[in-house]
Amino acid sequence: MNGSKMSSSKRQSILPRVQSGPKAPVNFSSSIIIADSALLTGNHTINISSETVIHPRAKLDSSNGRITIGRRCIVNERTSIGALSADPTPSESRDGVVISDYANIEVGAVIESGGTLIGEGSLVGVGCRVGKGARLGKPWEIVPDFTVIYSNGTRRIDKRGVSDLKNKAQARQIEVLKRLIPSNPAKFQ
Amino acid sequence: MSRKPVKGEYIETDTGNKVSRKAILIGTQHIMLGGKTVIQAEAMIRGDLARTGQAVSGSAAAPGSNTAVAIGRYCYLSKGCCLRPPGRIYKGTFTFLPLRLGDHVFIGEGTVVQAATIGSHVYIGQNVVVGEFSIIKDYVRVLEGAVIPPNMVIPSFSIVAGQPARVIGEVPEGGHEAFELRELYKTVGNNPQPLPV
Repeated sequence: MNGSKMSSSKRQSILPRVQSGPKAPVNFSSSIIIADSALLTGNHTINISSETVIHPRAKLDSSNGRITIGRRCIVNERTSIGALSADPTPSESRDGVVISDYANIEVGAVIESGGTLIGEGSLVGVGCRVGKGARLGKPWEIVPDFTVIYSNGTRRIDKRGVSDLKNKAQARQIEVLKRLIPSNPAKFQ
Repeated sequence: MSRKPVKGEYIETDTGNKVSRKAILIGTQHIMLGGKTVIQAEAMIRGDLARTGQAVSGSAAAPGSNTAVAIGRYCYLSKGCCLRPPGRIYKGTFTFLPLRLGDHVFIGEGTVVQAATIGSHVYIGQNVVVGEFSIIKDYVRVLEGAVIPPNMVIPSFSIVAGQPARVIGEVPEGGHEAFELRELYKTVGNNPQPLPV
């Protein structure tokens, strides 16, 4: 009857595609895995090094400074990297966020922009908020290596000495994620 | 004169699932819903993180054998919660293992679940973190803001709270009806009914 209407079985959204900001200039390694539904916005450069995984719906916003992500990092879903800090004082650093090699940013974590440094092999847990200018882990030593920080300034030090094993496990995880997450770096370039 | 039915906020399936159009379901072929389950807006289920490894067998595996997230009946996933299968190194390779939810499981807003198993009649409050490979048995109440560490096993009938989460009490006798989600199921959907007072 109304054949013209039924011609396409797949429903298309009437609303225009949400474009939350300018398309960020990117500098990707060829071996990264970035999901189609990741969000990259801002006007500073986003650098992502080799074998890093960006899960779906992770949000990288470089409008407040450059974002640099090291090798073999895992950035999980719903994270917000480079979020605007509530603190209005300008930071002295030109970098927004630097995430070193083998870091794992878990679901829903927020990393504010403004000279924020995440050290090698760090694990930023579920729903954490890392403030502007924070420096965690190697090689900055403001928060020393292998420290677990949980709440209200309490902390303990991981003395198990398993960081090599942890890095190996992370590499294995990335191999699996490479098969599971369809990567589409071309979309962001 | 359009005979097209007006599109509601929820997609209602034959088995009674009510899935919000704004829910984010990734890898739907690996997600099993038992029926009568409510999935609210912005809830996220990572079905794409399915088990790998046995794919080499080649022979046609039964459909649904590679489930990443299995959800029972009358479950209620609130706004902004996230279900993701836990992963670990197993026999030398990294693998994701399935996440199983029983029946009548309530998951609060903004909660992240990476458990191995959640039993039946479990209430999990808002902004809870359920660590990887934790096991929650039946009739458990997790209070809001709790952080359940990885690999924790929570026995039946406990009340759990804190960061890290500890068992702080027991579900009182006769308090089991409070876990029923049948009435709550009726309050959402395209023609919601009010809760009976």
